[in-house]
Amino acid sequence: MFAVIKKELKSYFCTPIGYIFVALFLIVVSFIFYVYTFAQQSLRFEYIVWDSTTVLSFIIPVLTMRMFAEEKKNGTDQLLLTSPRSIIKIVLGKFFAATIVVIISLLFLFIYYGILRYFGDVSIIEPLVAMIGFIFLAMAYISFGMFASSLTENQVIAAVVSIGFFIIVSFLESYQGIIGMFSLVEMYQKFPQGIISLKEVVGYISFILLFVLLTIIVLQRRKSVK
Amino acid sequence: MIEVQNVTKKYGDFVAVDNISFSIKKGEVVGFLGPNGAGKSTTMNMITGYIEPTSGTILVDDYDINLKPKQAKKQIGYMPENVPLYPELTVKEFISYMADLKLVQRKDKKEEIEKVIKVTGLKEVKDKIIKNLSRGYRQRVSLAGALVGNPPILILDEPTVGLDPKQVTEIRNLIKSLGKEHTILVSSHILSEISQMCNKIIIIDNGKILRIDSTEEIEKTTSDSSEVIVTVEDEKNKFKNIKKSISEIDKIDMIEEKENEKVYSVKYSGNDDIRKILFKECAKQDITIVEMKKKENSLEEAFLKITEKGGKK
Repeated sequence: MFAVIKKELKSYFCTPIGYIFVALFLIVVSFIFYVYTFAQQSLRFEYIVWDSTTVLSFIIPVLTMRMFAEEKKNGTDQLLLTSPRSIIKIVLGKFFAATIVVIISLLFLFIYYGILRYFGDVSIIEPLVAMIGFIFLAMAYISFGMFASSLTENQVIAAVVSIGFFIIVSFLESYQGIIGMFSLVEMYQKFPQGIISLKEVVGYISFILLFVLLTIIVLQRRKSVK
Repeated sequence: MIEVQNVTKKYGDFVAVDNISFSIKKGEVVGFLGPNGAGKSTTMNMITGYIEPTSGTILVDDYDINLKPKQAKKQIGYMPENVPLYPELTVKEFISYMADLKLVQRKDKKEEIEKVIKVTGLKEVKDKIIKNLSRGYRQRVSLAGALVGNPPILILDEPTVGLDPKQVTEIRNLIKSLGKEHTILVSSHILSEISQMCNKIIIIDNGKILRIDSTEEIEKTTSDSSEVIVTVEDEKNKFKNIKKSISEIDKIDMIEEKENEKVYSVKYSGNDDIRKILFKECAKQDITIVEMKKKENSLEEAFLKITEKGGKK
């Protein structure tokens, strides 16, 4: 698995994709940071983290669209699937590599935190918990983006399917009852309050497991229909 | 080492591979010959476990590729068609990744990579990014990827396609030397190429195996032609009548006429090489032979011949 992670990270940062992701994220975060601190004079750093989750639905597909679609298009999936490494490890390797890129870009947020801390009395607990929630949400998005990428060899289709799904999911929030409970955005709401509740964590992990598993199934079944 | 039993692969109604069986013993270098679309790559993809057959079983070193994929895949080094590579990696990074995928032990990895780079002649480009390499080098990188970890079986899908003649010779020699230590299955649609590298040939067309035989036997069938092409300088048009003097000749046809040279096709029966007789007779009748050669069979004709004989063994 570590071999796959290492190679994927190399691919992210030997091509522009990794940098584009981090740059897009930081542009949006800078804007949000400006609005909260200068326009609204707020010291609640967790709200900045919270608001920056909205950008995830548009930038996560940048990371995930190429995952399997590109391998399939270039034929390199032949190298992966004919190697003795199990598909599970390959899928998990790719999944965690994308997660690491998200964590790297999240680390830049500490610069903004540092600025705020220098000028005012900012609490650390809530922003940290908000960031943990941010990682859970990002992983959920990555798992779906990866699944979308395994379905096609066209990266654009993979990206469009993912963005479409993420937008629909963010509207689920406004529904009451069962449908609303599936909203990934709704699940996030307690994190910025500094609360890690079991229900939300289990919700995210189930979502992640479901789509990681579906990706593995798609790749494994593709053998017999190809 | 490889045992293919009654394997069929269907895509909807289209039968890509139709109930084929063959086996490859340890140490053999086997050529897989057929025109494009014959089912060579499909078969190779099934042996390597990339796709699953619709029916039938494939054993690699006695492990079923679909039931015990890990053990079976460990035995194989696969170089797929169209040399898929990761263009953003350097040669060394790519080979190292392939070593990781193939579960090469960490302590042997460095040594193994160095060895493969040396064998495939990639030393001077090992730190270059694959995207910037020429086709010939890419082919070698792909081969290096198949070789790393020293798997006992090598499966190479059209390893020489798209190379210039010098590179073709290099790759061919490399495969020949690898044949001393590995069991190899190599595909091609060029008969002469296969016959230089392999000691056994499997001929496949339309998803069916037409013939499995040693290289010598196949070559005998395909060169077993009874037609000679002769170019003569013959102002008095005597060559046409040479038939009367040589009893073995069945038919003489003029193929082409340019200025004072004429090209004839001479068909004959009997086992003797007619060229010697023809040469002596022409000398006697004062006809100048400019060029004379036995007509060689193209692969298509070889196929026809083999199918006509129904030569499935």
